[in-house]
Amino acid sequence: MMQDTGYKIQDKDMHHASGIMHQRTITVAVAGNPNSGKSTLINAIAGTRLYVGNWPGVTVEKKSASFEYEGTNIKLVDLPGTYSLSPYTQEEIIARNYLVHEKPDAIINVVDATNLERNLYLTVQLLELGIPVVMALNIHDEALSKGYKIDIKTMEDILGIKVIPTVATKKTGLSDLLMAVTASTSGHNPKKLNYGSDIEVAASAVEKQIKNNYPQLLEKYPLRWLVFKLMEEDSHVMEELNIGDSVSFIEETTKHLKKAHGDDVESIMADERYALASGLTHEVLKKPEFRKMELTEKIDKIVLNRFLGIPIFLAAMWVVFKLTFDFSAPFADWIDAMTTGPFKRWAEAILGFIHAPAWTASLATDGIIAGVGFVLVFVPVIFAMMFFITFLEGSGYMARAAFVMDRAMHAIGLHGKSFIPMLLGFGCNVPAVYATRVLENPRDKALTSLLIPLMSCGARLPVYVVFIGAFFTAYAGTVLWSLYVMGIALAVLMGIIFKRTLFKGESPMFIMELPPYRMPSFRSLMIHTWEKGKHFLIKAGTYILAVSILVWFLLNLPWGIENKKDSYLGKMGQVIAPVLAPVGFGNWEAASSLVSGLIAKEIVVSTMGEIYVQKKDEKKEQPALTDDLKEMGTSFANAVKDSASNVISTFGIASLSSEESKEEKEERSPLRDVIKSKFTPLSAYAFITFVLLYMPCVVVAIAMRQEFGTWKWFGIAFAYQMALAWIVAFAIYQGGKLLGLG
Amino acid sequence: MSFVDIVLMVAIITGAVYLLYRSVWKKKGHCPGCDSGTCDTKKKYNPKDC
Repeated sequence: MMQDTGYKIQDKDMHHASGIMHQRTITVAVAGNPNSGKSTLINAIAGTRLYVGNWPGVTVEKKSASFEYEGTNIKLVDLPGTYSLSPYTQEEIIARNYLVHEKPDAIINVVDATNLERNLYLTVQLLELGIPVVMALNIHDEALSKGYKIDIKTMEDILGIKVIPTVATKKTGLSDLLMAVTASTSGHNPKKLNYGSDIEVAASAVEKQIKNNYPQLLEKYPLRWLVFKLMEEDSHVMEELNIGDSVSFIEETTKHLKKAHGDDVESIMADERYALASGLTHEVLKKPEFRKMELTEKIDKIVLNRFLGIPIFLAAMWVVFKLTFDFSAPFADWIDAMTTGPFKRWAEAILGFIHAPAWTASLATDGIIAGVGFVLVFVPVIFAMMFFITFLEGSGYMARAAFVMDRAMHAIGLHGKSFIPMLLGFGCNVPAVYATRVLENPRDKALTSLLIPLMSCGARLPVYVVFIGAFFTAYAGTVLWSLYVMGIALAVLMGIIFKRTLFKGESPMFIMELPPYRMPSFRSLMIHTWEKGKHFLIKAGTYILAVSILVWFLLNLPWGIENKKDSYLGKMGQVIAPVLAPVGFGNWEAASSLVSGLIAKEIVVSTMGEIYVQKKDEKKEQPALTDDLKEMGTSFANAVKDSASNVISTFGIASLSSEESKEEKEERSPLRDVIKSKFTPLSAYAFITFVLLYMPCVVVAIAMRQEFGTWKWFGIAFAYQMALAWIVAFAIYQGGKLLGLG
Repeated sequence: MSFVDIVLMVAIITGAVYLLYRSVWKKKGHCPGCDSGTCDTKKKYNPKDC
């Protein structure tokens, strides 16, 4: 637990004053280096659930949260992490534009206390904006545990701002921080740091020129910041001001500076800011003389080893998939049994009781319950997977994964930083496309976006689980792992092809900060697992429901058909089926399911549920409601027991392969049984490979359109993925047949 | 099939199409991020939490 440093706001009157002000509203920007804990701080203060992760670049757009503090409405704006306010990456531009143009009332500068010098470089730049700044000296507990001694009083005196030690993960120091923030907005602006006589003389001359000749700019920009940007001949600012030839006075005033230092003004200014940050750090920070090797360094020696790095990454993924299956399978079986049993019976009973038309009963049971129900079955699998991915993100391992993949990424003309959006793609491809904003140039963004859909998102899991449950129970974790690895391998292959065709050029250098390993708190794990997984539940209740209804109509129209094959959906499937015959699943049912899966990949399973699962046992005696409820409770308790024993078991997947309950499971899993009769293990593997690779879902298409302002990149992704899916499935199916596996 | 059945059927299909349009196009698939309502929350700060 962090020790309270004893910092208390001095001006008590200010505290009381804030109390009597009625609903004053202030906007506070939260700025800092990547991975300094900005989003965590906002979540801790405002009770929001912004996405956080122990790696740089999690936040790529500004987000906000509002709350009330002692009569003041505070709107916190979470800016993407930046190392400086120089506009080189998109997140830097977002942060800079916000601070300069939106003019927040105050800035909370979140500083990682374990990396003081690097973080202070941004602090120095923030002070140029003339906006009140309060520093949240975050991760203070880790700094203390490393033996760092930070002289907070001296830091406050030198910078002229309040410095509050905080530990956002433990919600420590937040009251003091808010008190300082509300006080800062009614007080003074930060003091000007001295950049040395050469720079200050030139700055005064430029300032005078602006005041005399361009007073209108003073309403738009902070004066000192504008002066420095003009001296640096910042291309964005020059373009924005459109003052053209009038900049000759700047050249005149900076001539002496350039001559004296033998460099351009931007470099001179950068050197001076680093000198200020470095000098301040030496002044206030005392590190222990003898430093022992930290746990992070010990782990990294193995994890980042050039020979062991990638095998360890692949092994970590295998463990994740194995645990995902082992933990979730009994719960998936339980939901399956509930949706195909009691829920279906209850819906039929209710509709019968209100004398609803017979077709509405079929729509409810064979359409909605079969369609949505078969997707809900896989919610435990998705949540388990998201839990383990969140754990890897929070622990800091995902940043290492990007690092070890750097060499492979260079082969395809990208660098390890591109692997971060790809890793996000394992959860959902949509935020992964948005996360390409961390990449500096449009070429990298476009190429990474084209490769992201090859990362297997959570929506594809239900399809895999149905087929793996039907054919590969003994090797479930390994088969699932093979699909994810295949996605990554094909991304590398496609990257090489794209590099030689559409995206010629050198791969940029990769500099990435590796955060220390941290044990994520259980609460944080639960919150972010829920945030990642809940949209699958929302999808089930919205567009999977809508598509299930539409598929039911397409399967039953024209009205009165005897065979589903004669329905509109059946006829459409029959047109496409011949194209899929060489890849092993040339039947109309598979073709129709793949077409509906274009909306979202889970819908492949819901459509199969509607097509394949027929009504049976019409005359079977219906159990009473109390029997159903009793059965639900008993089977759930069994699922919990099975799940626990699966996780600790080192053998197979008991819940999917258990001999003793096989008959029972067959009765409970009608979709798996039908699939067993329609596919062979070889065609099943070809089918799930096709689902892995064929076009990105509609929402990814929309995200790509939004990010690039054109349908061009989605068009390319659609074309190459369709071709790739067919070729790979063909190779697997025909190759397998040649080897006698069919 | 009666007239009421046809009206009911058209209403259900229209509702499903609208739900699909709204959730896929307007709500961007309810994927994680601001559009899914994870931010812009308004709460009263509770210092006891800290």
